[in-house]
Amino acid sequence: MSVLNFLADGFSSALQWHNLLFAFIGVLIGTAVGVLPGIGPMSGVALLIPVTATMTGGQDPASAATSAIILLAGVYYGAMYGGSTTSILLNTPGESSSVVTTLDGYQMARQGRAGAALSISAIGSFAAGIFSLLALVLLAEPLSNLAIKFGPAEYFSLMLLGLAAVSGLAGKSMTKALIMTVMGLLLATIGMDNVSGVARFTYDFPILYGGLEFLTIAVGLFALGEVFKTIINREYQAGEIAKVGRVLPTRQDLKASAGPIARGSVLGFFIGVLPGAGATLASFFSYIIEKKISKNPAKFGKGAIEGVAAPESANNAASGGAMVPLLTLGIPGSGTTAILMGALIMYNVQPGPLLFADHPEVAWGLIASMFIGNLMLLILNMPLVKVFAKIIETPPRYLLPIIIAISVFGVYAVQYTTFDLLLLIGCGIAGYFLTKNDYPLAPLVLGLVLGPMIENNMRRALTGSNGDFSVFLAKPLSAAFLLVAVLWLVVPLLLKMRGKKVLVNEEA
Amino acid sequence: MAFKNWKLKMGLLTIAASVTLTACGDAGGKSGDYPSKAIVVVAPSGAGGGWDKTARSLTKVLSEAKLVDQTMTVENKPGGGGAVFLAEYVAQDKKNPYKLFVSSPPILINNLKKEGNSPYGYKDTTPLAQLTKDYGAIVVKADSKYADINAVMNDLKADPTKVTVAGGSSPGSMDHLISVLPAYKFGVDPKSVKYVSYDGGGEAIAALLGNNADVIGTDISSAAEYLKAGKVRVLAVTSAERLSGDFKDVPTLKESGIDAEFTIWRGVFGPKEISDDEKAYWEKTLKSLNDSEEWKKELQANAWEPEFRASADFTKFLEDQEVLIKDMLTALGMAK
Repeated sequence: MSVLNFLADGFSSALQWHNLLFAFIGVLIGTAVGVLPGIGPMSGVALLIPVTATMTGGQDPASAATSAIILLAGVYYGAMYGGSTTSILLNTPGESSSVVTTLDGYQMARQGRAGAALSISAIGSFAAGIFSLLALVLLAEPLSNLAIKFGPAEYFSLMLLGLAAVSGLAGKSMTKALIMTVMGLLLATIGMDNVSGVARFTYDFPILYGGLEFLTIAVGLFALGEVFKTIINREYQAGEIAKVGRVLPTRQDLKASAGPIARGSVLGFFIGVLPGAGATLASFFSYIIEKKISKNPAKFGKGAIEGVAAPESANNAASGGAMVPLLTLGIPGSGTTAILMGALIMYNVQPGPLLFADHPEVAWGLIASMFIGNLMLLILNMPLVKVFAKIIETPPRYLLPIIIAISVFGVYAVQYTTFDLLLLIGCGIAGYFLTKNDYPLAPLVLGLVLGPMIENNMRRALTGSNGDFSVFLAKPLSAAFLLVAVLWLVVPLLLKMRGKKVLVNEEA
Repeated sequence: MAFKNWKLKMGLLTIAASVTLTACGDAGGKSGDYPSKAIVVVAPSGAGGGWDKTARSLTKVLSEAKLVDQTMTVENKPGGGGAVFLAEYVAQDKKNPYKLFVSSPPILINNLKKEGNSPYGYKDTTPLAQLTKDYGAIVVKADSKYADINAVMNDLKADPTKVTVAGGSSPGSMDHLISVLPAYKFGVDPKSVKYVSYDGGGEAIAALLGNNADVIGTDISSAAEYLKAGKVRVLAVTSAERLSGDFKDVPTLKESGIDAEFTIWRGVFGPKEISDDEKAYWEKTLKSLNDSEEWKKELQANAWEPEFRASADFTKFLEDQEVLIKDMLTALGMAK
């Protein structure tokens, strides 16, 4: 049977009324999970596994597995759609993969363009979802072979490229962006080191063994920092309430977003395929690239629709990409796919090299249902935009306590420790002072994500090469990444030396 | 404060409930109303490895066979070969009977080794029962030039820098011990073996399949699916006798002339300050699990061998293995 026949079989299974219902429930819960900070896709899926087990109890094992995985996968990509909502409206990222969306999304909301920002992220997510599914259907096998070729050296060079590109997140001063990046890298070293198993900077506090939680820091810096700023600057007394303009994006918005959505989808999918890289990196990288190739990079961070369209497409595409190593190799690329894998195992379906041969109805049913689920999400999300956008019209004296409450509940729901609440408040205060003095926050957050990946992969690669650094140049893909990273840093310098005006090195 | 109140209320409810039960002369033989809420079983590793699979099979069968009525979920807590989780567990959950975890020899190894030492060991928990035994496996890619374990050993002996060995946990941990054990017994300096650690067995297999490692040390249950799919070749297993099923053609280390064996037990642990009633509940429940048909099927599906030891026996067994591992680490120069 050809791929198309399998896919047709998959659709006939996914279009059964109960599976349609499961997909709908999944994406509905996923949207809610995405909107609520704290309950991320990972805990959302984990919490629903026992529920789905009960719901599918009456079916035979194979179709029960199909129905369950359809629902759970719906939660996963539904959360990617919903994740942008609080980022845009409240500057409170619900998921780590929508941290970067706050940069321009929140600015758009303040300018009364919340509707456009929300709907473009839904449209971008839809386009990216469909793209990544087509890629999954057509390229799963060759891509999974490529993904495992991606060794420590390649990961290291890719992450280094990401770090070199941090200039894309700089505000007025490159120096301050670099300071913040190093801060992020330093904070990332706290905790138990995975390569040697040694505890670093933990001072024997067991609470620090697991390192600092990424989401706590991001929510503190962005959401609480903004709240403190509003309170201290008495912005709430100005009585200026942002009005929600039109809900749908203008023709010009759509035109401006088409390129970022397309690029974000492709980039997000490929990063998603790599185990361990994931949706957060995909969103950061796509944002940076859009800013880099933009004719007018100065508008980023001030409400550019491209800055919402690209990362939101990328994180959704990445969730599709993460299905490739999961379904073809049984290697989960992210925490959420690891839990999906666990759910499959519960139904005696072992994801791995034999999945497509042993359980084609499960694999193809899932893929087909993801096409349907993405369509449902688009239809579900467009009317919701109008409802959600109203939130921004709430007067600040009500809105601010709500943001604080959501942040506190969200962080506690993930970590269950009071330490993280203290960390949250500390980061909020730090966020206020840092923003006040023009230190950009995004590079710190990126450093925190990239730090452990850079370090661990570098040490793995060097162990493999007996300490020989040329391994990073000997592997063609790795060398290519390094070359791009060098060009990224050197080209603007050269241009500047030749008297051209370049934004990157502008000093405050 | 709200949380403390809530805990207090739960405590009062528990007392009230047990008083009621006692007053009614409950003859069901149930120890209080434990468990009265959802139970978390932690796999102190990433998904896809041995602990993870054990935790998932355990919760699945306990629920399916209706041995535990409460919802059971699995949580993954990777890092430091389990030490990250154990430190958190001892610090935060020593009185929480609703959080159990699955462990294996690393709980002993981490407590004994010098680098990356875990200040906590099995003595800071309550061993509830041993459930399975598993064995280590030395695995290469299906198209590898190595056809048998002795070929790898000869290459390692000739030039250890030429062979990259990988595993799913940090140096000095179990995957590392399994990887270097044959080399050590073969007369290669175990410190010279190049060992690259990944986050969990899944990533280590990915590294093997992607030619980023020549050999990996793992356990047979993690390797089974890839062996069936023809993606890898298993050169040797660390059991004393040949295994059945998918591994029937794989020689033991002893058959290959290397005098070494290593048994990987897996067991369930609870918090240090678990009450006697709660401990008895798990001993009884896990014994029923071990005797159930569902569990036998699950064992078969995963190529695991059952080996049941109840709490007291299990603790004695751990004391013995602790001595053994300490000797081994001392020989490797890695003991604390």
